[in-house]
Amino acid sequence: MHLQFRSFRTRILALVVGLLVLVQGAVLLSVHVANLGSARRHVDEALELTAAAFRRSLRTREEILVERARLLSSDFAFKQVVATDDRATILSALENHRARVRADVMMVLAPSGEAIADTLHRERGGGRSLPSLVEEAKQHEYGEASAIQLLDRIPFQLAIVPFFDPEPSAWIVIGFRIDDAFARLLQQETGTHVTLMRRQHDAWEVYSSTLPEALRRALAAGLSTRPAAEREIVDVALSGDDYVSWIAPLDDPGAELFAVLQRSLDEALEPFLRLRTVLILVFSAGILLSLGAVAWIANRVTRPVAELARGALRIEGGNYVDPVRVDQDDELGALAASFNAMMKGLKERDQARDLLGRVVAPQIAEELLAREIELGGEERQVTVLFADIRGFTSRAEREDPQRLVQILNLFLTALSTAIDRHGGVVEEYMGDGAKAIFGAPVGHADDPLRAVRAALALRDALPAVNAEIAALGAEPLQIGIGVHSAEVIAGRMGSLSRLKYTVVGDGVNVASRLEGLTRRYGVPVLVSRDTREATPGIAFREIDLVSLRGRDAPVALFEPLGPEDALPDTLRRIAALHPEALEHFRARRWERAIGAFEELSRLEQPSPLYAFYLERIARLRADPPGTDWDGRFGPDPG
Amino acid sequence: MHRSLRDSTIRRGARRCVPTILTLLVGATVASGVTLDAQVLDGEGEPVKDAVVYAAPLDGRPPLGEGPPAVVIDQVDKEFVPYVTAVPVGTRIRFPNRDQIRHHVYSFSKAKSFEIPLYKGVPPQPIRFDAAGEVALGCNIHDWMRAYVFVSETPYFAVTDENGRAALGLPDGGYRVEVWHPELDGRPEDTAREVHVGGGEPAALHLSIEKRRVWRPRRAPSLADPSYR
Repeated sequence: MHLQFRSFRTRILALVVGLLVLVQGAVLLSVHVANLGSARRHVDEALELTAAAFRRSLRTREEILVERARLLSSDFAFKQVVATDDRATILSALENHRARVRADVMMVLAPSGEAIADTLHRERGGGRSLPSLVEEAKQHEYGEASAIQLLDRIPFQLAIVPFFDPEPSAWIVIGFRIDDAFARLLQQETGTHVTLMRRQHDAWEVYSSTLPEALRRALAAGLSTRPAAEREIVDVALSGDDYVSWIAPLDDPGAELFAVLQRSLDEALEPFLRLRTVLILVFSAGILLSLGAVAWIANRVTRPVAELARGALRIEGGNYVDPVRVDQDDELGALAASFNAMMKGLKERDQARDLLGRVVAPQIAEELLAREIELGGEERQVTVLFADIRGFTSRAEREDPQRLVQILNLFLTALSTAIDRHGGVVEEYMGDGAKAIFGAPVGHADDPLRAVRAALALRDALPAVNAEIAALGAEPLQIGIGVHSAEVIAGRMGSLSRLKYTVVGDGVNVASRLEGLTRRYGVPVLVSRDTREATPGIAFREIDLVSLRGRDAPVALFEPLGPEDALPDTLRRIAALHPEALEHFRARRWERAIGAFEELSRLEQPSPLYAFYLERIARLRADPPGTDWDGRFGPDPG
Repeated sequence: MHRSLRDSTIRRGARRCVPTILTLLVGATVASGVTLDAQVLDGEGEPVKDAVVYAAPLDGRPPLGEGPPAVVIDQVDKEFVPYVTAVPVGTRIRFPNRDQIRHHVYSFSKAKSFEIPLYKGVPPQPIRFDAAGEVALGCNIHDWMRAYVFVSETPYFAVTDENGRAALGLPDGGYRVEVWHPELDGRPEDTAREVHVGGGEPAALHLSIEKRRVWRPRRAPSLADPSYR
């Protein structure tokens, strides 16, 4: 039992914590996924912005280059120099200007694009030609263009403008070398690592970069294993760190130059990772707190429940003494209080039931307890049995009270045993007698037979009772039993404050009268015709016809002798002779009646009944009855 | 004809130079009996303005007349006016500065290389253009200022108006007619056409040229004329 409640607590714990983990976990997971997605998007967007800034930065540098070239293209002194057609002077003036604007290369190109003077190749123009750059410039409104191109395998950002003298008669080219300083400059503007690379047949070569040397090689190797990408954001792992990388071709058709902007993913995701750590901490703390709270609540519930269960076990075992102890001000405390009150009620009721069972027959006790406390009855066919001790009142006057009680209890015990054994109930004890009912509150089909058998059983038990009474030193008892079957009112009667289950009606009075008549005829049991006719298998002898108060028709009295199949020979002979004797008597054939009764008297020793009849015949002979006499006794004792 | 010539030569703010040109052209047509009505179109069929159409007699170099009168190229509102001037060899051109600021006129062209350093008003000496060919003029301190002088070997030439039309007064005979334009793609010789005029019948000639792109420096923004780029 205890183990089960422990597991109930465990179940509550598991359920609540499981739910909490599930919900919190789902929240954490969705927040994590949303955050990661958002962080990742943020990183990508930031890189896009950076890429835009990078392109803007490149354009700005182009414009700077163009403007610096323009300075020279309209420089009058330089026009004069060019007009001299002196190559050395032209080259020198170019160098001068290059130094002035801090460019890495300057050139003068013929209209077709061949170099006339080139600061990278001092001797005779170097044979360099930039046709694509010139072609692009020719498409421009002011003849200006810029591009990133390789010069001697080194990438340069170049700008070209027309040279005016004042007609556009040549091209001025100016360029910055794209080196690490250039990359660092772009890094300052964009906040990302900048690497300029060239792709040749899927092999990547780094020209300049803000990355350390080892990472440059890793980047080139990493990109070389990737399929060619036009422009995209990709993750590139460099020495264990993931870098979000934006790979964009530079504005140089054919040269396969790319700018790679990179940002460490770990660095970019750092705020998100920090948030995730905080979330996990909050989640764990929440789980722990909930665990504690739920355990506390579960304890508060299961401990009193376990205490109540123990209390219930005690009650089951009949212990109504120890109350359950729950010191709580909540519903469980109220439940415990109710439980204790219930226990007290049960205890009182149990005592009451016990007492009732002793005071009344168990069936009556059940009947009383089974229904609401209300008055009322119903018509029932019952057989009522009255029994008492003959001459008990006069005996009480001279008997020792203590012994009297002992005698009484001996008799009543035998009485209730006989009644109980045959399914009747002792409705009440009345001094030296008792009133028993067969057929209420519990009915049987053979209630009259049960009643007669109970009466015979009591009759037959009397010698044993008398033996015990004799052992007490008292005189033996004589008893009278009256049995009558009739329709009566059965139910709870009295007042609401004090009621009992009983049967009332004329039939009850008849039974009582029969009991009283046993004394006159000297027989132990008298039953009515109604009862006799309902008890097959029992041998009877008719005793008399009597008038009862309130009844016109005479009532026939019968004495049960015993079961027909187990009747002693003497009784069998008596039963055979008796009807004839009675017939002679009622036919006023006195001589023959006397003869028959005397014969019966000899069979039955002693025979108060036949003595009574012989004496009665003597009286009737002395004072003959009227012609209408039907053999009944009374109204005047005849 | 006068009207069309006038139209062709009137440039924005350049009205006062018109009589000079008229004088020049009228002088050139006195002796001629036939007017060659030429029209120059570009590759897209659009009329070409400021093209010089000149005709050289097929029978040799014609004798030049008396020295041509002095020609003037003004500087007005930081622009040369007119943009294209055709003159016979030996013409003296004055470059009066009508602006309130100084200009520095120069040319590095092979036909005439010269320089008039920063000056105001009318320079004391005109510049004599004594070699045939094109001369590009610029101003040292205003990159966008540009004008052309076409120095012609023959006295028979005219500059097209905005309809691409030019009228040449030619004596009867055969001529080799060529076109020059600042944006001409190729050499003038490639545009050469032979025509024969005579019998007092007016002749018409359609000439087609290919133009190339010739860039010009941006003009410094001017509040006075924001339309100029």
